[in-house]
Amino acid sequence: MTTIEKLNGIFQTVFDNDEIDIRPEMTANDVDGWDSLSHVNLILAVEKGFQIRFTEKELLTFKNVGDLLRGIESKTGSGGSQPS
Amino acid sequence: MNTNPELIQNGQYNIGHICTRLQCDRGLSAKIAMHCLGAHGERTQWTFGDLERESSRFANVMQTLEFSMGDVFFIFLPKIPDVFSSFLGAMKAQLITGMLFSNFGGEALLDRLGDAKAKGILTRKSYLRKLLHIREKLPDLKVILLVDASEHQTEDILSLPLLMQQAETEFKTPLTSAETPSVLHYTSGSTGKPKGVLHCHRSVLLQNRTAREVLQLQTDDIFWCTADHGWVTGTSYGIIGPWSLGVTQVHFGGAYAAEEWFKILEEYGLTVWYTAPTALRMLMREDPAIFARFKLPKLRHVFSVGEPLNPEVIKWGRAVLGKDIYDTWFQTETGAIMITNRPGLPIKPGSMGKPVTGIGPAIVADDGTLLPDNKQGNLCLKPGWESMFASYYRHEEVYRQKFKHGWYMTGDTAYRDAEGYYWFMGRSDDVINTAGHLVSPFEVESALLEMEGIAESGVIGAPDELLWEKVVAFVTMKKGCEWNSDLDLKVRLHISNRVSTMATPKEFVVLESIPKNKSGKIMRRLLKARYLGTDAGDVSMLDDI
Repeated sequence: MTTIEKLNGIFQTVFDNDEIDIRPEMTANDVDGWDSLSHVNLILAVEKGFQIRFTEKELLTFKNVGDLLRGIESKTGSGGSQPS
Repeated sequence: MNTNPELIQNGQYNIGHICTRLQCDRGLSAKIAMHCLGAHGERTQWTFGDLERESSRFANVMQTLEFSMGDVFFIFLPKIPDVFSSFLGAMKAQLITGMLFSNFGGEALLDRLGDAKAKGILTRKSYLRKLLHIREKLPDLKVILLVDASEHQTEDILSLPLLMQQAETEFKTPLTSAETPSVLHYTSGSTGKPKGVLHCHRSVLLQNRTAREVLQLQTDDIFWCTADHGWVTGTSYGIIGPWSLGVTQVHFGGAYAAEEWFKILEEYGLTVWYTAPTALRMLMREDPAIFARFKLPKLRHVFSVGEPLNPEVIKWGRAVLGKDIYDTWFQTETGAIMITNRPGLPIKPGSMGKPVTGIGPAIVADDGTLLPDNKQGNLCLKPGWESMFASYYRHEEVYRQKFKHGWYMTGDTAYRDAEGYYWFMGRSDDVINTAGHLVSPFEVESALLEMEGIAESGVIGAPDELLWEKVVAFVTMKKGCEWNSDLDLKVRLHISNRVSTMATPKEFVVLESIPKNKSGKIMRRLLKARYLGTDAGDVSMLDDI
């Protein structure tokens, strides 16, 4: 499973929607229910799912799914097309 | 009731008519009613003529679908133009129109649609999933309309665009009396499920007057109310008040983003801005350099509603916006602003301000005695104001309980100072005000008990710098079960998706037992004292003492 596939599964769980299909350019405006409060849930789920921990500073740099993906990959050492 | 002959002509109180047809009759057909800014940068302009035509089409659609006066219809959408045309169309058709937050989960939807016995709902395809999960439990729900389906999906899941294409653009709004039911907003109490606050078309009188006298809207203003239409502010002042005055509004469908918001304020030459303390506190946390890039010479007034405004926010407004920020106070039940700060009245930072002309608040003791200045007590209102709610829909008994000793009991506690300013002190019940949204501890406690492993739960609101109050949950675990980070996440997601993200606890505290009184009622007061490290007061009623 690639990082984006795994992240997609986390999005589906967090937002309770198995039709979500994330793309790097997607922002909170593209996912129903992605607001500042559910963002906390998303980050907790990502940290748990990938066994990583973001700093507050890193969290501020995430403006879209692509930023989040890069943040995950920099922690896990995986590439977008590599199995995680 | 003080009527307004310019607004109410020939006994016509219909909100949909007043906000559209009446404005066109005043010669405003070509005037922009709304700049609608989408989440992805889409921009559309609607004139009052467009609103009149599309709302009439919608009213005709509803008649074709055999909806009639008093039927309950809900709108479950994010902020997009269809919200406004369909709301006004439903008003014209005299439907009881319920407004829902688009982030409600399945359980929250079921509670509201089921309680109101909703006959129809307008939504979009991506929200349909939530509705289909609960559809079987909603036997009264006859039709689901989709704003973004080009074809009908089934016999009762229909394409709104297709129906609108086939509908006439003229609709003769029936003569609507002051007491005809109009808007339905659900609100949380400390016990039981949320109740539907039912308003009547007469509310337009006070929504119009407060938009003029408090928000000081004038014909050429460009007004932005950031509130969601699922909240009473979003309908009273994001739709009815300003449009009943023929004022141009900006509506933005995107999420909070400081730079984007200031771009809107500058680009559209906003003159009056009505927003919320949480949004203002979020702006306060931003780099001040952002604001320095924008020039807002046309901005005349800034107002806030939802929770008391901290003095720091008022200070920030003066420094960054060069404006005072006026705190306003009202409730879903009051329908319009009741006590307020406003231009011309010196601000006492942290105070609610003074009553709107004609509104009669008082500070009353539990036994009905009027309390003197500087004494804290129940904040009450003399019944009979024009936008007073008509009922808790289908819960008349609960409605009656809100009136005691000849007063409407707001559930807030406050005091009045010697100069007539009111000061909010807190709630007299356990309802949590988080970011301006009322959350019922009961709803969250019930959702917690649905989780495997949790034996008992108790939920309180605790002070929070950003949200005013945050939701804090206390739980006890079943034998053999333990709280861990997996369960923490599961519980958060469960509450977010079943109830709403607003109701999701920010903190969980695991206890050996939840304090209850002898009749089994959760002693939230003790949980709060424990959390805050304050004196718990009288504990003689505790079960285990």
